[in-house]
Parts: sequence; structure tokens; C-alpha cells
Amino acid sequence: MSTAVETPEVPEQVIEAPSTVATKKNRRNQIIALGALAALGAVPIPFGDYGFFIGQYAAVYAMLGLSVTIVTGYAGLISLMPYTFAGLGAVMTGLIMTGWGWPFWLAAPMAALATLPVSLVVGMASVRLKTLYLAIATLTFSTALGETFFRWDLVTGGRIGWTVASPQLGPIDFGTDLNFYLLCLLVVLGLVWMTEGLRTSRLGRAMLAVRDNELEAQALGINVYKTKLAAFVLSGMMAGFGGAFLAVLLGNVSPGGYQSPVAEVTSILLVSLVVIGGIDRAWGAFFGAISLVVQSQVFQGARFFFPFFGMYSAFFLILFLLFRPGGLVQVSKITTELVKRRPVFGLAVVLVTVALNLGIAYIFIRAS
Amino acid sequence: MTLAINPIEVASFGISAGAVFGLLALGLVLIYRTTGVMNFGHWAIGLVAVVSYAWLTGEGMLPQAALPICLLLAMGAGVAAYRLVFKRIARSNQIIVILVAVGIAQFYSSLAALVLGFRPFTRLPPWLPMATLEVAGMRLRMSDVYTIGVGLAIAVGFFFWFRVSRSGQALRAVAQNREAAVLAGIDDVRYSSLAWAIGSGLAALALLIIMPHSAGQQGGLITTFDLTPLGTLLIPAFGAALVGGLVNLPMALVGGVFFGLTREFLVLAPAPWSELRTSVAAILIVVLLLLRTERFFATRQELEALEA
Amino acid sequence: MSILETKDLSITFGGISALDEVSINVEPGEIVGILGPNGAGKTTLFNVISGFLKSDQGKVILDGEEIQNLFPYERVAAGLARTFQHVKLFRNLTVYENLLVAQHRHLSSGSFAAMLRLPSWRKDEKLAKDLVEKMLDTINLRPWKDARPSELSYGTTRFLELASVLSLKPKILLLDEPASGIQQREVEALGPMLKGIRDETGCAIVLIEHDMGLLFSVSERVYALDFGRLIAEGTPDEVANDDRVLESYLGRTRRDSVA
Ligand SMILES: Nc1ncnc2c1ncn2[C@@H]1O[C@H](COP(=O)(O)OP(=O)(O)OP(=O)(O)O)[C@@H](O)[C@H]1O
Ligand SMILES: [Mg+2]
Repeated sequence: MSTAVETPEVPEQVIEAPSTVATKKNRRNQIIALGALAALGAVPIPFGDYGFFIGQYAAVYAMLGLSVTIVTGYAGLISLMPYTFAGLGAVMTGLIMTGWGWPFWLAAPMAALATLPVSLVVGMASVRLKTLYLAIATLTFSTALGETFFRWDLVTGGRIGWTVASPQLGPIDFGTDLNFYLLCLLVVLGLVWMTEGLRTSRLGRAMLAVRDNELEAQALGINVYKTKLAAFVLSGMMAGFGGAFLAVLLGNVSPGGYQSPVAEVTSILLVSLVVIGGIDRAWGAFFGAISLVVQSQVFQGARFFFPFFGMYSAFFLILFLLFRPGGLVQVSKITTELVKRRPVFGLAVVLVTVALNLGIAYIFIRAS
Repeated sequence: MTLAINPIEVASFGISAGAVFGLLALGLVLIYRTTGVMNFGHWAIGLVAVVSYAWLTGEGMLPQAALPICLLLAMGAGVAAYRLVFKRIARSNQIIVILVAVGIAQFYSSLAALVLGFRPFTRLPPWLPMATLEVAGMRLRMSDVYTIGVGLAIAVGFFFWFRVSRSGQALRAVAQNREAAVLAGIDDVRYSSLAWAIGSGLAALALLIIMPHSAGQQGGLITTFDLTPLGTLLIPAFGAALVGGLVNLPMALVGGVFFGLTREFLVLAPAPWSELRTSVAAILIVVLLLLRTERFFATRQELEALEA
Repeated sequence: MSILETKDLSITFGGISALDEVSINVEPGEIVGILGPNGAGKTTLFNVISGFLKSDQGKVILDGEEIQNLFPYERVAAGLARTFQHVKLFRNLTVYENLLVAQHRHLSSGSFAAMLRLPSWRKDEKLAKDLVEKMLDTINLRPWKDARPSELSYGTTRFLELASVLSLKPKILLLDEPASGIQQREVEALGPMLKGIRDETGCAIVLIEHDMGLLFSVSERVYALDFGRLIAEGTPDEVANDDRVLESYLGRTRRDSVA
């Protein structure tokens, strides 16, 4: 009789058998995944500079997405300010490279470190709060920082911003689209590898434990507050580091680009892309970034459909949250399993899906 | 807008802004208490009403006639969000609930931008009288006076309805103890939908009070800046709701007025502070969060019910 | 010297006194039982000792140190471990991973060491895995090592929880109704197992249990609680025959049927 109150259970998150254990099998899985990602990275090459540009975008957004993976995927904290941290990193990069004349290779780690004071202050004030309150607090901080730091003339050089030169390494110039793309790809692969490594560690497992059950985590001797704060800080550093690449990608830094409402909108976009890609595993951010950036380019190519892109991505965010909370990572796992059990049927499904997608993309582009 | 020096003039701006925040907060709290969803899409659902208002009045409809239609549309948008999406999520899974709410926000704000055709701004004719009133040397905007009046009327009517009418009481029962209410034969989906309808209607009304009356005599504008999933005004609204610990309705209204007054009186502050409206609100919000205001307004049991 | 001592612990919830000047002490290596009717305050006592609740007054002394102001995780570090009346566990992690998480306090490498796979991380992971492997055999969980808690029988989750807290290498272990909801066969295995744990590790055990057979067979000393007050203390025989203890159970039954 009480069926009215029963809401359907959210499907259990699919996490591959011991993913937090550094076993041989796990290491092999990581290498396979990295190889697959690298192969995906080769896809833009035949498309020339345009392909590299999209690839750079996807790679940088994947770096920023990894910050969401750590804080929300691992530690279960919802932060609505990842893009603000990216902005901090980007502005620091502009300041260090253009203002002080330091090379990019120093500026990028400094950009990551520069997020520390902010993430510590915001984290200490809000990490103790429950999920909902944390979401409100980070949203508020994001807007407030847009109103203060990104307007603070001393830091920002009067709001005009700086142009950012492309990195240089000896004779190699990363100013060309191909070179910078390869650099971004390499870095994002490294960051995915690092984020996966975090999972199989004392702190990473503590984060997953805290997400699952705070009381049990405490009973097992885990300092919940410190663990959450660490997740928040690491996530901020990841976004700040990605922000350095964002600055180079955009070619300039204008603090206004990290104020309300752009900051909030992009933060939401980052959260969606990570959820769609798979919030549990590090490569989810990469999948999500590729799928979202490529699709937005397809939509952009089709002028008639472009206005629908916002609704389209929101729709998929909600669909994934309701039915596949593990994102594309979960989908690919289910598909692999299907192919293993029923090869012919499974491969047919994969082929039809790919063909359908290509067909739709073709129709979209032709329709404009 | 000239800088108002007279404190009573400033207070009138503040209270009218506060009434708007209060209406937004009232909707947030009502929906949260009844269904456990903190609606990050609140602003975006209100936008549904604003863009339909822009469209209908653009087609030549009388603003006062368009108003109720737009309110109904926003209510429909809210109920649809509940029935199609939030009803299907276990509310104990707060992470998913919040992410979905963010998705809903993105969906409706993109819809709004689409309807407006991505123009940088669209004119909104006023539906409240825009004259200025001179009383004892003070210049009061009629729209502020009406806003305060409308806010007050809604608040009184709402609380009266909530306490006295049958459906209001059923809604309170669902909010207080869902399980018991269901056992007592109350259809909780129906009343949750009602909460979403009212909450969304309040959001729509709040937005339709500010936006068409923001630019003086000609009415107002809706710009691309406004068409964001999480509007800037959502922050003082969250603050107002937090004054009542996210659960207390009258305190949410009081909180609205508090945030409205703070915001307007900041204008009188010396240079850097007068520009830091959101940052000051942010500091207030953090203080409220650390005070854990919910302690004062809800029992342990109620809070646990909201979480699980 | 006692390994655990509480002095006059009191706590009230909205005027109702859940603990009223409760003083107990546990010697090293001792197995102590706690009994009392529903709502007597047994779980509350554990919550206060382990730091999940703050008492209004009183002291908790672990191994000579006052710990009543420490956080729960600090009390774990000091050698105190507890289980919950309702099994908690990490639902999204496998049995093996649940046990890995429990090794937290024995590990020390930082996050960057793991991200860069430095030797300190490698050493830590090896240590953690060795400890888990040993525990899988100690508590007989090996067959389920890749299962998630939702795939286990209730009894097995109880044993997993026991394995988790044992992994903390505590000096004293608080078990809240370890036999509730598990099969009779498993209950019978539990008694010898607890004694075995005590004999092997030397850790003291405090046991809340409604299964009197189990409680009286493993405990060396028993405390009885009612309405938050200690009403009896002594050997199992003494407490089992105490008039006030019998009355507390009968009295409570009468009240419950009225309520
Ligand atoms: N956090 C709390 N807030 C309010 N009341 C509480 C809280 N924890 C326990 N109580 C109350 O304190 C009393 C003692 O509860 P407790 O859980 O300690 O009993 P118990 O002896 O463990 O009973 P059982 O055998 O049923 O587990 C009960 O009346 C309970 O309702
Ligand atoms: Mg109990």
C-alpha cells in the first residue's frame, strides 16, 4: 500500500573489482586504459589544425575535469567552483609568465600551488559542512572571488589581462597546434595516471571510505575532516595546473573570464562532463571531455542545432545520473561485458551505435 | 539610478529587494522541506516565466494578462521537474540529487536562452506602476511600494493557507513526516507536486518582480547575464533560506529582508565595500552555515528525515 | 592498571537520562559483558567511550590517559576500536578493499608518493596487502574477498566488520551485539572465536549482547545497565541471579506492552 513513497533505488555504482588495490591486474588495466586514451589522442591527427585545436580543448577540459573526479568522485564532496580554481591558475600563469617573465614550466606548478591558500581557506570554512551546504558554500565563494580576486587590480593588472606566450623547450616550440596538442595529451595522460594512482593509496582509499560512510571511516581511525580537506586542496591544485594550460590555449588571460556568471556556468559544465564520462574513475574525465567538446563542435558546425546544445547536454547529464551514474566508463564496461558474452550481438550493437552517431553528426553538419 | 542618501529611501529599496529574496527563499524552503531537494534550478525555473513574459508581451499581450499565464508555465516547469526526475531519485543520495538539480538548472536556462533567440537583451515592459512618489521630500518608487505590498500579501496569505486550509495542513504533514502522512492516507506525490508548483510560482513571481522593473520608467531588460543556470540573486536567496535553517518559512522571509537591507545599505559604504555585495553576502552565508542554524528550527528527527 | 576505565559518565537526551554516573573498568585481556533491556543505554555507553557522543560529565580513561576530549579517530590511534549495532561497512568497496581501508593507521605514505608510484608508496601497499591477506585467513573471509557487502549474508558482514576492527590492532575492542541477526551456527562459532582473538592478541573485549548464552559463556565479568544506571556487576553467575537484573527485564516487558 505504501508503494507511493517508494522511489526506485539508484543503481549501484559499478566499480570494477578491487580498483583501489595495486595488483598486477589493476596495473595492467591502467596501462590498457592509458593506451586506449593515447590511441584516442591520435584521432584528431588526420583533421589537421582544426582537429588539434579541438583536441587541445578536450585535453585541457579533461585536466580541469580531473579536479572534479578527485573532490566529487573520490571524496563525495560537491564543489561548484572548479572553474574558479582554474581561473586562479590561469591568472597566476599570466602574472608569472608575462609579468615576471618566467618560463611556462615554472609557471604551471606555481599556478597549482597558488590555489593552495584559497582552497585551504574555503576548505577549512566549508569542508565540515554536509554535501548540500558545501554546494551552497562553494557556489557562494565562486561568485565572491569573481567579485574580489578577479577584480583586484594589484593582481590582475587593472582587469585588462595579459597575453600568454606559448611554452618553449630548447628548440621545440609548443606554439604550433600539433606540438601543443601533443604536450596537452601527454600531460593529461600523466594526470590521469596520477589520479588513478591516488585511488590505490592510503589517502585515496580514505576518500572513498569517507564518501561511502563517514561514521565507519571514523571508527576505522580515519580523520574525516583532514581527508576531505586534502581532497579539496588536491582538487584545487589539479584545476590550477589545468588553468595554466587553459591560459596558453586561450592565448590570453583576462580575469573577467572567471567572474560570475561564466565561472558558474563553466563549473557546471565541468561537473556535467565528468558525470557523463564517469565520475568514479580518472579516465571518466577524459571520456567526458572528449564527448562534450567534440559534440559541442559538431553542434557548432550545424548552426541550426547549436542553440539546442545546452539543453542537449543537460538532458544527457540527467539521463546519466538517473540511469548510468557510472557514466561512459560504466557504459563501456557493460558493453565490453556484452561483447565478451555474446560477441556477435555485442559487436553489432557497438557498430550500430557508432554508425548512428556518425550519421547524426553528418546530418547535423549537412543541415546547416 | 541616483545615489540615495536618505536612509528611508534606501530602506525602501532594501525591503523591496528583501521581499524578492524572501519570495525566492520561501520557494526554496518549501520545496526542500517537502521533498528533500535543494533546488539549484530555482532561478532557471523562474526564467521560464520571464522569457514567456518577454515573448507574450512582445506579441502584444497586455503585461498584466501575460503575468498569470507565465506564472502557470513556471509552475508547470517545476512540477515536471519533480514528476519526471526528482521523484525517481532516492533522496538519501544527496550527491545525485544536487547534481540533478544542477542539470535541471542548466536545462531550463538553456531553454530560456533558446526561446529568447540568444539576443544580448530583450525588453520587458513593466506590470507594476512605475511612477515615483514624493512623500515628505523623499522619492519612493511606486514599484518598490508595490513589491513590498505584494510580498507582504503573499506572505500573509501563504502562511494563512498553510496553517488553516486542508491542503496546507496536508502539505505540512508531508513536510513533517512523510511516512506518517502516507500512512494517514495523504497522497504524498500529489502534495509534493503542490509544493513544487507553489515554490516554482514564487520563484517566477520573484523574477517577474525584479526584472521588468529594474531599468526605471521603461520597464526592464533581460540580458544574457541573467540567463544563467544559477543566477547571482540565488546567493542572497540561499542566505535568506539559511537564516531559517533551510526549514523555517517565516524566518526565510525575515532572512530575505535582512539580506535585502544589507545589500542596499552597502551602497552607502565607502568605495571598495559598496562594490562587494556578493562577497559580503558570502561572508554572512558562511557565518550562518557555521552557526548551523538548522538546529534552532528543526528537531533532530526532522533533520534526519530530510537527509535519509 | 585497568586498560579502560569510565568515571561517572552521564548524558541526557532532551531531559531523559540515557547514562547516569556510569563507572566501569576493564582489565587488560579481560572479556567483559554488558547486558540490559532495550533502551538501557548500552549503545550510548559505547558511543561515549568511542567519542561519537560527548558526555555531559565524566571521564574516559584509556591505559592511564584521559581520552574524553579526543576525536573518535584519535581514540582509535590510542588503541580503542568499536563495532556498530547496525553493520555499517563501505558498500561500494569489496571485502578486500574494506579491509585495506582498515589498515589506514598502519600506513604512512602521502598522496604524491602514490600519484608518482614512489618506493615509499610501494612499501606501504605491500605492507597493507600482507596484513589484509593475514586477516582474510584469521577470520575466514577469503572466499568472499572480491564480493561487495551487499552480496554477503548478514552474518558474513558481521564477521567482516569484526575483521575490520581487528585490523586496527586495538588494545580494547567494543562489540555492540555481534550476534544479532546471525545464524545460530555462526553464533556458536563466535564465542570460541572471541576467546581465540583475546588469547592471541591479548586485547580486552567489551561485549554488548542480548544472546545470554553467548554473553555468559564468554564473559569473565558482567555489568548490567537499566535506565542508564549500573544495577549490577559481577561474575556471570552472580549477575544472572541478581534480583534487580531479573526485575529490570520483567519490568521493561510490562512497560513495553503498555506503551
Ligand atoms: N543520539 C541520541 N539522541 C537522542 N536520544 C538518544 C540518542 N541515542 C540514544 N538515545 C536514547 O537513549 C536511550 C538509550 O539508547 P541506547 O541505544 O543506548 O539503548 P541500548 O541499550 O543500546 O538498547 P538496544 O538494546 O535496543 O540496542 C534510548 O531511550 C534512546 O532513544
Ligand atoms: Mg544498542
